[in-house]
This record gives sequence, structure tokens and C-alpha cells, in this order.
Amino acid sequence: MSNFEQFHSDFYQSSYTIDNQEGYNSYGNPTGERPRAGAFVTSEILLSSQSYTGQILQPTYSPDTLSHLSYTNGFDEEPPLLEELGINFDHIWQKTLTVLNPMKPADGSIMNETDLTGPMVFCLALGATLLLAGKVHFGYVYGMSAIGCLAMHALLNLMSVTGVSHGCVASVLGYCLLPMVILSGSAVVISLQGILGTLLALFVVGWCSLSASKIFTSALAMEGQQLLIAYPCALLYGLFALLTVF
Amino acid sequence: MASQGRDIVDRNIDRLVPVGRLKYYFAVDTVYVGRKLGLLVFPFMHQDWQVRYQQDAPVAPRFDVNAPDLYIPVMAFITYVLVAGLALGTQNRFSPDSLGLQASSALAWLIVEVLAILLSLYLVTVNTDLTTIDLIAFSGYKYVGMIVGLVSGLLFGKTGYYVVLGWCCISIFVFMVRDRQTLRLKILSEAAAEGVLVRGAKNQLRMYLTMAIAAVQPLFMYWLTYHLIR
Repeated sequence: MSNFEQFHSDFYQSSYTIDNQEGYNSYGNPTGERPRAGAFVTSEILLSSQSYTGQILQPTYSPDTLSHLSYTNGFDEEPPLLEELGINFDHIWQKTLTVLNPMKPADGSIMNETDLTGPMVFCLALGATLLLAGKVHFGYVYGMSAIGCLAMHALLNLMSVTGVSHGCVASVLGYCLLPMVILSGSAVVISLQGILGTLLALFVVGWCSLSASKIFTSALAMEGQQLLIAYPCALLYGLFALLTVF
Repeated sequence: MASQGRDIVDRNIDRLVPVGRLKYYFAVDTVYVGRKLGLLVFPFMHQDWQVRYQQDAPVAPRFDVNAPDLYIPVMAFITYVLVAGLALGTQNRFSPDSLGLQASSALAWLIVEVLAILLSLYLVTVNTDLTTIDLIAFSGYKYVGMIVGLVSGLLFGKTGYYVVLGWCCISIFVFMVRDRQTLRLKILSEAAAEGVLVRGAKNQLRMYLTMAIAAVQPLFMYWLTYHLIR
């Protein structure tokens, strides 16, 4: 069955180039392609799913697929937009799950690709939830995260055998900001000034720093140093917690 | 372009800061930090103060609890600044400027102390293999005592502060005297083995220097913390 599909897609491909050379009017022209319309859609969906694995498959697909396949053959091998930007929702979701569960041992290879979109989203979410609570602290959030990234990068380079890049440090620290977003979200609903608020803030700081240190130690293969990495992370996230609570 | 810039930055950083040597001081693990902190607060029971050497180079702090490291002093310094901010905040004297003021004054006193020790070492013409980074590490250990004193002052008021600070002063004094002495004695015994004439007065001078350095630590500890506890 797959051979048949492969043959079909190859067949589609060859006929498509011929159409392409004649111009781009073949897509706008349903009548000429009517006998192969069904085969078109199935084969091109199969073609796209075979050649772009890990890509987001969106339900309303046919017109987009047609247009991007035209670009693929027109401009040589230009990948779809999200893949070109390097945004991979599957990996983002995996990393978020890793952060949310600090007790589970992490896989060291997930940090191989430096991904800054997730951290950017979390920073913006933190600023937005702070805004909901009435505090406009965007500048403080960005400033503290920048200084914290620089400091952690220097410390990790000195403490680990292999070095790290700025992007990796920024990515991990940004991902582990997610529990802080949850804390500031809850600050909108309940007041954090009392004992309960302090306990909750301490718990969230511990959660953030544990997951950050877990990812760092597994990615950089540093044994016996998780608590040592967790302490500076706890200091950094403690500053964020101070921002959220007061 | 970006990689070129990064190369230039790396080269210049290598010129200013010896990254390779610094890495030695950060090669620590949790067990070492725990033992060292215990030693800083309670140095009285520790018997063996000798720094273990391996082929003429000191062993990394990971393997020897007597070796100096830079992780504890750096973390202690940052924690001291934060705890000072917290102390000021509980007294409603906090502002972000005062945090920067605390940090810079503590840093300035640290630099003054290290320069004074270097100057006195030069004047006494002691041949020691104490590097500048070692001196920074030793001067940074007192921040641990300061933090403990400050926290107890916040929790238990002035009496708690004085009691705990007194205890930490005594322990840092003992720690300095014993730890410094091993390095000095090592140099002394090497010199004697090589047949260099070691005069008794010079030996005494070195002891006095060690005592003076150790005695200055509690003074600094009190000076840098008393205005934070009201």
C-alpha cells in the first residue's frame, strides 16, 4: 500500500513540475486536475507527512499545503515557517512537562537545541500576570532575568567540565520560570502577604530551582552538584518571588 | 560577526582573569560544601588541617576539605547582600539604592583587606605560595559567619545577634589561625630542609602576622553588620 502511495506521490510530483513550468495557474484551475483531485489531496498530505516529520499537522490543510508545496518547488527546499523559525511545539511541550515535574529524572539531550521562544512566552506571561495584579514591572523582570542569566552562565562555566552557551542557560532559566507564573497568577486571586503567601512563595521558589538544577546537572553531567546549582537558582527565583509578593 | 565578537571577548577575558585557575576553585561538590560550612562554624574538633598535595599541585577542593575554594565566598557574599536587604526591609529602611550601597561597601572592604594582607606579606618577605585568589577565598569565609549572625539577629533580636556573632567570631579566628598556620609551617619546613637560615625572630613575625590577620576578621564581621541590626 505504501508503495502505491509512493508511486502515486512520485507520479504527482513529476506531473506537478511539468505544470509548474507552464506557470502557477494549475492550482487555480480545478477543472484540469479534477480526475486526480482526490489523489492530489491524499498524496500531498502523505508527501508532506513523510518529508516533514515532527511538523505540526494542522486540520485545515489543503490550501496551505498546496501553496507551500508550490513554494517548495518554486524556491528550492524552503521549509515551512515554523520549522524555519525553529519552533517545535512538541519539544516545547516536553520541556514544559519536565519543568512541571521536578521529581522525574530528566533526559540530558533535550537541551541540545537552544530554544528561546518558550522562555520568551513565560517571561511575557509573568509580566502579564503581574500586570493583572496591578504591578507594572516588565523592566524589572527583563533586567533581573538578563543579569541572572549572565551570572549563572559564568558560574556554570566555572563549575562544569564542559562549558555552556548563553542561549542554553537562558533557555533553561526561562523554562523554569513557569511555576513563578503560576504563583503570580494566584497572587491575583488571593493575597500573598500572610503566612500562607510566604509558604507558597517558598514552595514555588524551591520548585523552580529544583527543576532548573535538575536540568542543568543532567545536561552538563555534573554529579553531586545539584544542590550547589540549586542554591544560586533559588537566589534568583527568590528575587522574582520578592517582586511578585511585594 | 557574532562569533568574532565572542572570540575577542573570550581572549580579553582570558587575559584579565585566569579562567583555568579559577576553575580549580569552583570544582566543589555538595559534600565538600557541607563539611566546609560545618568547619567554619565549628572548627574545634577538626584534627587534620594539612592540605593534601598531588604531584606538587594542590588537590581539588572536591577531594580535600582543607583546600580553599571560591564557591562558598562568592555565594556567601551574594547572600550577605540579600540578607542585608532583607534586614533593611524589615526596618523599613529599604530602597534599591541601599542594596547597591551595601554591596559596594562590602566589596570595597574586601579589596582593602586583601591589599593590606598582600602588603604585609611583602613587607615581612614571607615566601609563601598563597596566591591572591587564596587570600580572597580566606577573606570571603567570614561572610558565612556574618550571614548566620544576621539571620539570628533577625529572628531573635539583638541578644541573639550578639551571641551568635560572638560565636562565629571565635570560630573564624580559630579557623584562620589553624588553617593559615599549616601553610606557613609548610613553607618554613621546606626552607629549613633546603638549608636556608631561618631566624627565630622572623618565624615569630610570621606568627604575629597570622594572628593579626585572624584578629582582624571579627572586627570586619562586626563592622559590616552592626548597623543592620537595630
